[in-house]
Order: sequence, then structure tokens, then C-alpha cells
Amino acid sequence: MTFIKPFSGFGLGLRTAYQDALLSGEVDLDFVEIISENYMVDGGRSLRILEQVRSHYPVIMHGVSMSIGSAEGLDADYLRQLKRLEQRVQPLWVSDHLCWTRTSAHNSHDLLPLPLTHEALAVVCDNIERAQDALGRPMLFENPSSYVTFPEDELSEWDFLAAMAQRTGCFLLLDVNNIYVSAQNHGFSAQDYLAGLPLERVRQIHLAGHTPRGERGDFIIDTHDREVVEPVWKLYAQACAMIDHPVATMIERDDKIPPLPELLAELDLARSIACDAIQPSGQRVSV
Amino acid sequence: MSDSSALQRAQKAFMAQVLDENTPPPDQWNARQVAGMDVYRSNYRSAVVDAVNSTYERTRLWVGEEAFKQAAIHHVITHPPAGWTIDEAGYGFAETCQALFVDRSVVAELAWLEWAMLRTSRADDVDPMTAQGFAAATEQFEEADWGAMVVEFLPGSTSGTVQHDLHAVWQTISAGDGPADELEKALESERGCIVWREGDRPVFMMVDAAQARAFAAAQEGRSYGEICQMLADQTSGNQQPSDEALQDAAMAAGAMLGQWLNEGLISVVKTA
Repeated sequence: MTFIKPFSGFGLGLRTAYQDALLSGEVDLDFVEIISENYMVDGGRSLRILEQVRSHYPVIMHGVSMSIGSAEGLDADYLRQLKRLEQRVQPLWVSDHLCWTRTSAHNSHDLLPLPLTHEALAVVCDNIERAQDALGRPMLFENPSSYVTFPEDELSEWDFLAAMAQRTGCFLLLDVNNIYVSAQNHGFSAQDYLAGLPLERVRQIHLAGHTPRGERGDFIIDTHDREVVEPVWKLYAQACAMIDHPVATMIERDDKIPPLPELLAELDLARSIACDAIQPSGQRVSV
Repeated sequence: MSDSSALQRAQKAFMAQVLDENTPPPDQWNARQVAGMDVYRSNYRSAVVDAVNSTYERTRLWVGEEAFKQAAIHHVITHPPAGWTIDEAGYGFAETCQALFVDRSVVAELAWLEWAMLRTSRADDVDPMTAQGFAAATEQFEEADWGAMVVEFLPGSTSGTVQHDLHAVWQTISAGDGPADELEKALESERGCIVWREGDRPVFMMVDAAQARAFAAAQEGRSYGEICQMLADQTSGNQQPSDEALQDAAMAAGAMLGQWLNEGLISVVKTA
């Protein structure tokens, strides 16, 4: 209940564009990540496909609608259905994001930013504890990309995540692209961010592409619609060098999805970078 | 948790800005924060419009890209989603189409059909009753048992009455053809449409309106005997149904039952 054993491997998300290839079980992946909400249904084709994929690969459940930052608490129906899926899938772990998505009246279906205050930290910790109790297992939470900071902020995001993990016993899903995106948007150091995190709590890393500044205004936007850029690869190498235990790495691609071989080639690059960050003796090296 | 917590107030205000660009930002926000909010608003708008697009693909093809886009945007502004599943962004879109495409009522009916097909596609997996299963379940029935029999359908199945030949509309779209004037015209009399799932595949069939109403009544738990009576009442107007009308209704109900069984719509039969 209180520990998630590290898992080493490289995976992709289950997406319609290449699900037939995954159904064959012949794609060289160590795990497959699903968007939990897409499978929180009573029955039908999506669950049948998931069952087939599960027969070939370990599965990670990654959610987008838990809304652990919601001041109005968690949705009981959501938790029930998440638990039902978790029991069905028996995933390596269940993850979601440090964000909020809902009020009692509306749902944004986007990962909205939290003011980094002690009040928000208390709300987040209460909600995480409730979710972990409901699931009967610790969860992972992902650092978000963000486009707004709040005048009332009292903590850095890395201090917020560290306190959250320390208080609740949750683990971290480190999205390296999100660190880069938010660092660029808000002018903080990505290296300070990495150095400030309790990296021993990291179990998974996400990599993705983003829309550069200028294409949609004066922000870098986390769009998962293109390949990972060089500065993010460098940050990934730094993270791999700093983390002293195995982690699972995944490339997220949700739009303009290329042919599967291109995604697999990108995943091979992640393998190679991660491998280079570790000496043959298993010692991490500084980058 | 207190209703008046600072975080709760801040989140309500933030959500109001996400949903409506005319909501003013907090006084202490600078231009950078206002610009950042535009990113969230744009992300929200595209996510929910994409969800509506995905659910109502055929409705979009029927009305055309631009008209559909305007309808979808109108829908998400007037019906911001409340539930945790993004599919719910499409909830009530048929009513939105009814209001927006006043002279093209087939559009709302097509949207109703697509919503029904989405619902049934995610319903519980239940095997339909076979003819042999039905025979076994009713083998010991006496006359009173038939009257008291309640029919249950596959989860997610639904029915409605419509004014257009949705089967022809569907086929036209499948063939890649645009809307045809004759299919936009209402039929001389209303029809019924029943939606269910065959294996993984949502399907529908056009039936007469009486059958669609009988299907709905059965879903509400009305017994076979009550459905026979309902059919007899429908053909008899304000008059007490004659014996002949009752006999015709029983035959019609029997034919419907046979069709539901043959199509694999029935999951269970039992006596009330």
C-alpha cells in the first residue's frame, strides 16, 4: 500500500492510430499507458481492445480528470469508476496530474493551474489521501505545464510537489517537457526544478513535443503534437543521471501522430540517452 | 470544506474566465496572466468542440463543416460540460440542433441517433437471448404468465420516434454523398427508430412508430399484457377496444417480440 516498486522500461500510450499493431503484441515496448477515462465505461469495444493489449504488455493507468486540486473535493462517482477499472486492469500504477479540472458546476477538460499556496497544498494532500485510500494503493502525480502563475503563490512548484509527496506518500510522474515548457513560460531554472524534487519518489518520466513560442502567442504550449526537442532531451539526460533507480519512460503523442516506426525510433533515442546517463557499473554520471 | 475558502472562490472565478472570455480577470492580474488565461480558454474550447465533433461525425458531414462548427461552439458555450467524461460535452446536442436548424429537423434527429449510438457503444456487455433461450424461459408459461411477462433489452438500447428516414440518411452519408432534399423532407407519418449494439457495433433499425413506443414502454417495465393493451388503445382512439382490436394488438405485439428476439435485442424475459 505504501510503496511502488521501481519499474524499468520504455513505452507508448495506447492510441487508436497504432492500436492494431499493439494488439499483435509484436511491438517492442515494455509497457503501454492508457488514458484512464477512455476506459471507465461499462463495456464495449474499447475494453475488449484493452484486455487484448493487457495480454501482451503491462499497463499503466494515467488519468486527466481526478482534479486533485479541486477545492470542492473529489467526485465520488469518478473514484468508484476508477477503482473498478483499476481492479480490471491491475496496472503497474495509477497516475494523474497536479492540477484541477472541475468546480461543482463545470468541468474544463483541461489541466488548470493551482495557486501554489499552503491552502492549496492542504487541499491537494487531502484529496490525494482520499484517492489513495479509495484505490488502496499509492498513486503517481505529474507536474503540469502551465501558462499562468498567481500573485498569491507562496511556494515554488518543486517545493509544492516535494511537500505533497512527503505528506501523502504519493510518487511522482516527472514530465520533462512540462518542466521545460513551464520554465520557459515563467522564467525559472529547469535545473533548479529538478534539483528541488525528491527524485527518489519518481517512478515514471513523460517526454513530449510542444508548440514553440510564436505559433500561438507568447507561450510555449504543451501540445504533444510533434517530436521531442533537443533541450528537452538534454533535460531528460540530466534527470536520468540524477535519478538513482530504474524508471519507466514514455513518449506522449496525441495529435499529428506519425507512423509507429517513427515513434519507436524516438523511443530508441530515449533508451540510448538513458543508457548513456548510466555508467556500465550502474553508477549515474553528472551531465 | 468551507464554501468561502479562498481557493474555492479563486477556482470559481478562474472557471468563469475559462468558460466566457467576457468575464473580467481579477484586479491584480497583469497582461501576462491575462494572456496565459487565453491559452487555457483556447485549450478548453478546442477540447470540447473536438469531443462534439467526434461524437457527431455524421451530423457534421450532413450539415457541412462551417455550420457544424458554429453549432458546436454555440453548444459548448450554452451547455458547458459538467461531468468528468469529455463525451458528455455532446450531451443535449440534439436539442441544440433542434433550436439552430429550425427548418431542417432531420439534423436534430441525426444528432439524437449518434448520441444513442455512442451511449450503446459503451454499455455493459450482455449476450442477447437466443431463440432457444427464450423457448426455455417461457416453456412453463401459462396464459397469465404471458400477460405478466416483462422483457429486458440489451443495456444501452433505446428507441425514439422520428419524422425522417434516418436509414436512408445514414446510407447517403456512408456513400459520401451530401444532403439530399427529399431526405430533408418529413415523412408523411412518423416512424420509429431502435438503437442497440450487435457485439461491439452500434446498430439501428427503422420500425413503425407504434413499435418504438412499445419498446420504450417495455424498457419502462410495462408488461407484455400492458403493451398489448397499449397497442389496442392506440388503434381504438377514445373508444373501448373491441375484441378484434385486442386480438390485432396481441398479434402485433407478438410480431414485435419476435423481431426483437431475432435481432438480438432481448437480454432477459421474466414474469413481473
